[in-house]
Amino acid sequence: MLRAALVTAVTFSLAASPAMAAPAWTGGDDLPTSPLACDATPAKASAKAYDGGVPTKPPDRKGKKISVVDVPKLIGIGYFNATSKGIADAAKELGNVSAKTDGPTKANIDEQITFIDNYITQGVDGILFAANDPVAISPVLKKALSKGINVVGYDANSTPEARQWFVNQAQFNGIAKALMDSMAAEIGETGSFAIVTSTFTTPNQARWIAEMAAYAAKCHPKMKWLETVEAQEDNVLSFNGATTLINKYGGDLKGLFGMTSVATPAGAEAVTQAKKCGQVSVIGLATPNAMKPYVNKGCVKSVVLWNPVDLGYAATYVLRAVADGTLKPGATSVKAGKLGALQVVNGSEILLGPPFIFTKSNINGFDF
Amino acid sequence: MDAAAATPAPKSGRLARIFAAYGQELVVLGALLALMAFSGAVNARFLSENNLNSIFSGNAYVAVAAIGMSMVIIAGHIDVSVGSLIGVLATISGTLAVRGYPIWVAWLAAIVVGIAIEAVNGVLVAYARIPAIVVTLGMLSILKGGLISATSGAWITNLPPGFLLAQFRFLGILSPVWFAAVLTVLAALWMRYTALGRSIYAVGGNPDAARAAGIQTKPTVVFVFALHGFFAGIAAILFASQLQVIQSTVPPNLELNVITASVIGGVSILGGTGTVIGSTLAAVLFAAIGSSLIFVNVSAYWLKAVLGLMILATVLADMARRRRAV
Amino acid sequence: MAPSLRRFLRHETILAVLVVVALVVLAAQSERFFTADNLLNQGRLMAEVGLVALTMTFVIVTGGIDLSVGSILGLSAILVGVFWKNVGLALPVAMVLAVGSGGLAGLVNGLIITRFRVPPLIATLATLALYRGLAEGISQSRSVRGYPEWFYALGQRDAAGVPVQVWILLLAVVVSSAILGLTTFGRATYAVGANETAARFSGVAVDRTRLLIYTASGLMAGLAAVIFVSRVSTTRSDMGTGLELDVITAVVLGGTSIFGGKGTIVGTVLGLALIQALRSGLSLAGVKGDGTIVVIGLVLIGAILVSNVFGRDGDG
Repeated sequence: MLRAALVTAVTFSLAASPAMAAPAWTGGDDLPTSPLACDATPAKASAKAYDGGVPTKPPDRKGKKISVVDVPKLIGIGYFNATSKGIADAAKELGNVSAKTDGPTKANIDEQITFIDNYITQGVDGILFAANDPVAISPVLKKALSKGINVVGYDANSTPEARQWFVNQAQFNGIAKALMDSMAAEIGETGSFAIVTSTFTTPNQARWIAEMAAYAAKCHPKMKWLETVEAQEDNVLSFNGATTLINKYGGDLKGLFGMTSVATPAGAEAVTQAKKCGQVSVIGLATPNAMKPYVNKGCVKSVVLWNPVDLGYAATYVLRAVADGTLKPGATSVKAGKLGALQVVNGSEILLGPPFIFTKSNINGFDF
Repeated sequence: MDAAAATPAPKSGRLARIFAAYGQELVVLGALLALMAFSGAVNARFLSENNLNSIFSGNAYVAVAAIGMSMVIIAGHIDVSVGSLIGVLATISGTLAVRGYPIWVAWLAAIVVGIAIEAVNGVLVAYARIPAIVVTLGMLSILKGGLISATSGAWITNLPPGFLLAQFRFLGILSPVWFAAVLTVLAALWMRYTALGRSIYAVGGNPDAARAAGIQTKPTVVFVFALHGFFAGIAAILFASQLQVIQSTVPPNLELNVITASVIGGVSILGGTGTVIGSTLAAVLFAAIGSSLIFVNVSAYWLKAVLGLMILATVLADMARRRRAV
Repeated sequence: MAPSLRRFLRHETILAVLVVVALVVLAAQSERFFTADNLLNQGRLMAEVGLVALTMTFVIVTGGIDLSVGSILGLSAILVGVFWKNVGLALPVAMVLAVGSGGLAGLVNGLIITRFRVPPLIATLATLALYRGLAEGISQSRSVRGYPEWFYALGQRDAAGVPVQVWILLLAVVVSSAILGLTTFGRATYAVGANETAARFSGVAVDRTRLLIYTASGLMAGLAAVIFVSRVSTTRSDMGTGLELDVITAVVLGGTSIFGGKGTIVGTVLGLALIQALRSGLSLAGVKGDGTIVVIGLVLIGAILVSNVFGRDGDG
């Protein structure tokens, strides 16, 4: 009976694989993509009208002390520790912002919504958020706006009308280009690679994978995508996933993408333990601390990330500017403390800047 | 396994008794072998030394944790906090190692704290008569919240190489495999051949009869939980030392995986029957299934569904086998 | 019956006192806690957990458990989107079918438990994985959004000043407490939980009772799913993850014995109220999320401990 069930299950799933209309690469979403040019032509900054939300009758907060809550996707992982640190740094520098980070212990929309809702009741002046789902978070953010609370997002966007501004670390297609170009540089134009991501439903990761697929089809058509595995935000699961991929494809696997700041170090560890440093390239997004052992040993050549501390820092400055009324719809740039003037793109997004590349030469100078 | 169950008359008394006593363990072993044969046929790399080593050693910590969990379930209770506990113990152990304490202190701390916390669970269950699921549900929250408050999920890096127990090899095989195998055998022997070990079955099977037979049920229950904490401590060290960095968070779904390994391995949730050999085999089976589904190219979107179907099939097969035995 | 009735009241009374104490303390910490606005909002936030907790009470009273409710919620949620967008049915039909699918999932649970005699913990542990996997597979991890305006009324609007789902929850509370407390079915539920063999010999249709209860549990999870989708305006295959633990915590806190045979809807409602009050009040008092879950864990253990100390009536 077990055997019958086993066979049925496997047959069913093998039959299901071609039957379902899957996207180009597993793990990507089905939203429209806009791959960048293959050469170093910078992306055209689109001049779009302001499409952010507007708070209803906000009180005059100019120059006054404001209380801000930061609700990331989840607390308890290194990446959002870093953004939280940036927020705290900015608050200290500004002097008139009291910020605290609070959020769910797992990347669940329901819990995140409850947190934001409770802080609305508490009567905070500003909300910073990184959304677990862009559409699901919108009702509660709109509620915040309707109560006159300033709302600014970072890292993971909501629908535009639910927040006033969104601080984007880098454009989705820009990240896709940086990752794919790095991989092509290391494994060549005919190399095969696999992807370790968080889950197929995490919006940012799904966007990146979709954009990577589109960009690869355009500029690196001979590179071969093998497979995508899910590993949530867990270190050991990512390690096991990467190891399984290395074992499954053997010498056919030349590169691994780590789509989360947890998957990349785990992938590097898997390559190290499989004694394939130099044979399998690991490219991905990661925080420097987690990657130091691998970059210093030369197993990983470069790590792509924006600086999450800067991201949180910028988001706080934007929120302060919004609360003070110095950043208004239609602005083309905003001053963000030590980061200087940041550009406004896509109507209501603020770009942090180009992705930051950590290498052996600079990685030891960072501590997050 | 189907052949064994369909045998009309037992070949000999002894063989029949082995089948009857270890039926589920044999089913799981059979499923494991069948799976490996099938996957190896589809993709020969599945049976490569690297892959087998990583399947067994990468998930050995689940098997070790399942030893303790099986004992708790056999004693008639359950522990849903083991995932959070392992996260806490791994963090404590790693933090001590990084702060310069001797390695053995870091390892011992994980075990001692594990025993202590589970002993608290045991006392609440045995003496305060709070149902185990309630105590451990509460403890799950306390441990998880406490861990996040203390660490905010910071990475623990710069672990001294001597700490990385899970990466040591003996005779070419990674140490977690040795730990799982040796501990399983020792635990199985202890539970079968010592009075204290057998008293766990008695307490779980029929507490009143056990008490009438002179077994001190309450201290036994506390002891079982404490022993479970010991295994959780070892599992935590193996878990923590797999990579060069520790993520001081609660591993997702770990308690469900451990409990599933125990019950699929033949430990009856009603208490009183089952062996730790079954749970170790089941933990290995799950690791193998997880890996094989990727090797066999099951569509990634259906991976979880197939896994769930297999768990269900194993459970139904077990019930069918039990009914036929009865 | 009288001594156990005293025992019922004992735990529920202690819990009611706890709820009142919590409300007073939390209200003192922040003046925004005990306002109609906040209390109604909390009602809106806890509607999904509340609905599922009502049927979970029945399940646990029969001595069983249902760990798959979160996965059933996720499955029903994505089915709303799949039936509406992919299959092309009218939205009301899709909603009904999604709820019905939840019931079907619950029925399968019940069949596995009654026909195959698999213990509920194991059966629902297996279906927890299976249903979540089906949710991911059927939806191909896609979200469905862009529903018509009227759909959002269910989860986001008020009727006569009270959130719509709170009305539904109140109705469900009344109906379920009537069924559990006043009907033969309710008495059968208690009988099955107290002593299954005796119940069977007394002519109680044990299997049918179980089957109905698990189906109801699935149906309720399906209903909660539709409300949830309406509240957040999208579907995701990971919805409801961890729901079972919140639900079981509320039910057990409410005095329902995990061994079966004891429990009331009133207790469950009090348990739900206490947990939600703590979440809201602690947040307003400045305690962060991690501190809140520690408090809830302590309250759970503490409440049962206190209740055990007071409820000494010689069993166990």
